[in-house]
Amino acid sequence: MKSLQNIVLFGYGTFGRQLYKNLSSIGYQIRVITGLDDYVEVESDCEVDITRINIKRNDDIFSLNIDACETIFYCAMNQTATNLFLVLTLKSLYPDSNVVAISNSNETTRKLKYAGASSVIDLYEATSRRIVNVLTKPAVSKALDEIVYNQNDLQMLEMELPENTFLEGKYVNEINFRQMGLILIAIIDKELGYELIFTDHRINHKLDSGDILVIVAKKEDIVHFKKKLIAS
Amino acid sequence: MEKTTSHKILSLAYSLESSKRYNKIKTFFYNLLENDEYPYKKYFDMFMIFVILSSVTLLVIDVKQQIPVWLNEFDLYFVTTVFIVEYFVRMWIFSDIHKIVIDIYEESEYFDKEVNLWVLFKAIVKDKWQYISSISAIIDIVAILPSYRGLRVLRVFVLFRAFKMLRYTKSLTGFLYVLKNKKFELMTLLTLSTFFIFIAGIMLYVFEGDNDNPNIHNLFDAFYWALITISTVGYGDISPVTPEGRVVTMLIIITGIGLISFVTSIIVSSFNERLGVLREDRVIQAVGKKKKLTVVCGYGLLGRLVVNGLKKEGVEFVVIDNSEEMAEMAYNDGHHAICADASKEEVFKKLDLDNRISHVLCLTSDDIQNAFIAVNVKSLNESVDVSARCSDHEIAKKMEFAHVDHIIMPEEVAGMMGAVYAGEPVAFEVLLSIIEEKEKTQINEITVTQESFLDNVTLGEVDFEKFRLILLGVFKQCEGSKLGEFIFNPDDDFLLNAGDKLVCIGYLTAIANLKRKM
Repeated sequence: MKSLQNIVLFGYGTFGRQLYKNLSSIGYQIRVITGLDDYVEVESDCEVDITRINIKRNDDIFSLNIDACETIFYCAMNQTATNLFLVLTLKSLYPDSNVVAISNSNETTRKLKYAGASSVIDLYEATSRRIVNVLTKPAVSKALDEIVYNQNDLQMLEMELPENTFLEGKYVNEINFRQMGLILIAIIDKELGYELIFTDHRINHKLDSGDILVIVAKKEDIVHFKKKLIAS
Repeated sequence: MEKTTSHKILSLAYSLESSKRYNKIKTFFYNLLENDEYPYKKYFDMFMIFVILSSVTLLVIDVKQQIPVWLNEFDLYFVTTVFIVEYFVRMWIFSDIHKIVIDIYEESEYFDKEVNLWVLFKAIVKDKWQYISSISAIIDIVAILPSYRGLRVLRVFVLFRAFKMLRYTKSLTGFLYVLKNKKFELMTLLTLSTFFIFIAGIMLYVFEGDNDNPNIHNLFDAFYWALITISTVGYGDISPVTPEGRVVTMLIIITGIGLISFVTSIIVSSFNERLGVLREDRVIQAVGKKKKLTVVCGYGLLGRLVVNGLKKEGVEFVVIDNSEEMAEMAYNDGHHAICADASKEEVFKKLDLDNRISHVLCLTSDDIQNAFIAVNVKSLNESVDVSARCSDHEIAKKMEFAHVDHIIMPEEVAGMMGAVYAGEPVAFEVLLSIIEEKEKTQINEITVTQESFLDNVTLGEVDFEKFRLILLGVFKQCEGSKLGEFIFNPDDDFLLNAGDKLVCIGYLTAIANLKRKM
């Protein structure tokens, strides 16, 4: 397993709270930072580590003693402008840091990306697709519910191939992933650069260690597969 | 003698009342002439407009040129016949005579009295007189008159044929309605201007009528001059020559400017007030023919994205927003939009909730408002599929209680995505491109149709590789249209049947290809 990174979450509004819940359920340690006079509502049954700082001041951010290399920053402030400012601040203080920002429109996404956010989550884009899918492609929407949104048996995950496994040097077509209960959706082939490639059989890829596989499978099958990888 | 006649009338009335065929024919004509919702009324209207325009054109050409005999006969016989038949059919469908007959007979039977035929006749005439004396019926009958060629002055009534067109074009009636709405203001202005014209005309006549001005022969000339001047038209054929006359002119010119701008502003403002209603009518008419309509309530950030998605998928929808500004924006974006309060039943009644609407999406930014709209819709018709946006778990529970079919929480969806990013940035990218459908590789569903090459075939026999598709899983067909359980990654000996739904990932063209093959 990869070691879990530290998470610093800026803002604890409706989105921040939800993100906190999801991340902590996976097992992350999360520090929540809010502005000095932001209203924060904390449910009585969970203990949240909240620090209040003046976000405009660099000294306040430095005083948090963050190891930027080992941290993912989430910017989930309530106001777009504050979020944007925060991304700018973090990127200027820690140029190599990993900053994820929340956005509410294409326009904001563009600005956040320009400011240097590593990834931007559009609050409404995914939701709107989901609503449209419910109407037009009910099967797709239900399948996605099973895989992505409901945290039950099915899972989508990525896996970096370790060295010297039984997969090394083989072509994707040669391996029957389906028989192992896995569906391989996409890979990142190191030889082809870091581009994401969907494995819809247009090109047959050779697997090497360091390639990243994106798989959908049942939890038990994943455990099984991992064991098999290590054993080989 | 009288008794047998009245008996015959009564039995005729009863047979008409019970005759299915008679009622069907009458309903058909009613729909054709009066019911805006009736699909064939449009064609009838167009036919009538054609007839009217052709007869007007012929009569205008006839003023200076000789028209061919056959055209003259077309005008004389065909157009007139159409008008006369239309007049009587309208009179026929206006009310049911047999119902009046039955009413009167039943009443007299109750009092053990003989039926007086004269009373009966009067009641029927009185009833139909209501139609005959209505303005539109008068226009109709006057429009028939020009067909009589003996009197040349009747030609003027050709204009009434043009008036008939009002009945067949909805936008024109809308304009008249605007004027009717401002009846009080316009009447006040009319009285006021009549008063000014009257005073100014008399003043000029007094000052200049006694031979000072060679152009003013009588009081009519003076009134004519006053109207021309006050309306700021000012032909100049009659102009004042005395200083007193000029003073009067100056005064009424100033009043005239005021009056005209006043009239203009009244009509403009009235139009502005009506504009929303007119647009709403238009939208309801435009979506009126569609079955399976989706109603999107709220045109905020999420609403806009959803609407774009629906448009791309070819779903028929109408946007409702209670803010004028947002409805305007939706309208300008090229969607059917109504400014209305979706938490009230009125707008859904207008859109015919029971027959036309299949889905309602509550997407305003206010959870409570969404719950309100959802409850409103569900209480009107439980079978409509309602989706609601919500950002609070407690409110979501209440929505579940109200049987909202899909509760969608943007924060939850995005929060989930955010959590995926933390551990698995690559899987996150994959997810994002699948969910947001920005790449050409998409997730899609394909239904197995009856007797297609996938019907009654095991999965092992289907070469998905050849189709360049990744099969994620299958939904088995269930009773009704509900989806069954999702079977993830089924085995090779899994049997496909018609109605099953395959969920695949692949290039757009690959999916289209498979769909085509079905």
